[in-house]
Amino acid sequence: MIITVTPNPAIDKMYWVDRLKMGRVTREEFLTRAIRSDTSAGGKGINISIFLARMGVENVAMGFVGGHTGHVVVRDLREEGVTTNFVWVNGETRTNVTVFERERAHIPILIDEEGSPVSQEEISYFLRRYKRMLKRATWVVLAGSLPPEVDADLYRVLAEMATEAGAKVLVSAHGNALTNALHAVPYLVKPDTREHLSMEGAPLTTRSKIITAGRRIIETGVRILVVSHEVTGDIVITRDTIWEIKSRVKTTQFKNLVGADDVLLGGILYMLDKGEDLEEALRFGMAAGILSAESDKKICQNTEKIEEEMAHISLERI
Amino acid sequence: MKVHQIMTKDLTSMEKDTLVRGLIFTLDNAGMSNMPIVDEEGKLIGFISEKDLIKAALPGYFEMLHSTSFIPDMNQLVKKLAQIADDPIEKYMQHDVICVEEDDDDLQAADLIIRKDLKSLPVIDKERRLVGVVKRIDLLRHLL
Repeated sequence: MIITVTPNPAIDKMYWVDRLKMGRVTREEFLTRAIRSDTSAGGKGINISIFLARMGVENVAMGFVGGHTGHVVVRDLREEGVTTNFVWVNGETRTNVTVFERERAHIPILIDEEGSPVSQEEISYFLRRYKRMLKRATWVVLAGSLPPEVDADLYRVLAEMATEAGAKVLVSAHGNALTNALHAVPYLVKPDTREHLSMEGAPLTTRSKIITAGRRIIETGVRILVVSHEVTGDIVITRDTIWEIKSRVKTTQFKNLVGADDVLLGGILYMLDKGEDLEEALRFGMAAGILSAESDKKICQNTEKIEEEMAHISLERI
Repeated sequence: MKVHQIMTKDLTSMEKDTLVRGLIFTLDNAGMSNMPIVDEEGKLIGFISEKDLIKAALPGYFEMLHSTSFIPDMNQLVKKLAQIADDPIEKYMQHDVICVEEDDDDLQAADLIIRKDLKSLPVIDKERRLVGVVKRIDLLRHLL
């Protein structure tokens, strides 16, 4: 069974507008009317859980939820067929807002809340549940930011527990949470580079810098490292091979980038869990991510279309 | 239809050494009216409801009364509840748990919920591990 852990889940609120009037010049410009809007349970691990459930893979979503928005997250997950196992905390699960302007959807405006703090007592309670769940786990996904006041060591602790229980670990995070998690030598790592193009202090701005930093991570024992290079391309580093995966899709075709990166990981995980080889998994993951970005709805899943899209994904060995 | 096709796939549960105040917090925040109790393996070992807690906090002679209006003073209930807040839930949980297996028929779950006047019913797998719950609303939703 696959377990996803999203310590700081969210409600993703998405708006599509003609133009976001940032400088309020006239009275009329106080108001921006949305052409369309959508709401969905979010957070990196939760997005992966939803994708996997849509692919028919049984999985359990864990983390911390609270308040009215916490109920919305849990309800959405259950409707998607994801098994839930959250610790309820004081405070409200955060809301993240994304605004897509017409013809600029590939550069959305994001407003992410920090989230509610989680106490040490709540962490201890979570750890007991997590330990129980590990007895059924084949893969554990640790993904997204940590809530305020939570020790940056959390992912390292969770990754070590999972490895000890015999599960493979996937980490998708940034900052100290990621740096510390690397000490537990996860199986698959994807640094979240949306805010900072760096990992462990090393820049990830060019192909050669990504490869240099990536090789260092792989030397520690991490099996697969996936790094976003361009919006439609990633670099994947293993002990034996380095690939550049590219899609031919133009970024102007993108309609909804929210969660697309998580769908990429969900696709890779789906294939690896089925026992497919890494090249096929990467092709599938990239195709799924691209299709998701091209659709209006967050986390698009259509196996037939993903397989069609795979033909347009190039995997070049560097 | 089988139970696993209609159940709510939620594993919210507690271990027997959880304190009553922790249980009340989760019941309140998660909007639940009862809680499955599991061991370290995730196997179902007990069950506790709001009703069990109220019973534990009421004076001993409560069960002989026909109406709560006979309780002389609400403060008595509040005081007793405060007294048990730091007790482990093991003290008040039901050890004989009414539950169904995931491959049982939905009718069996419906029968138990109606006959035993339950709000929800834990669902277990062959190894007795908790895999979900069937609520009254799950039955109603699937009957529609």
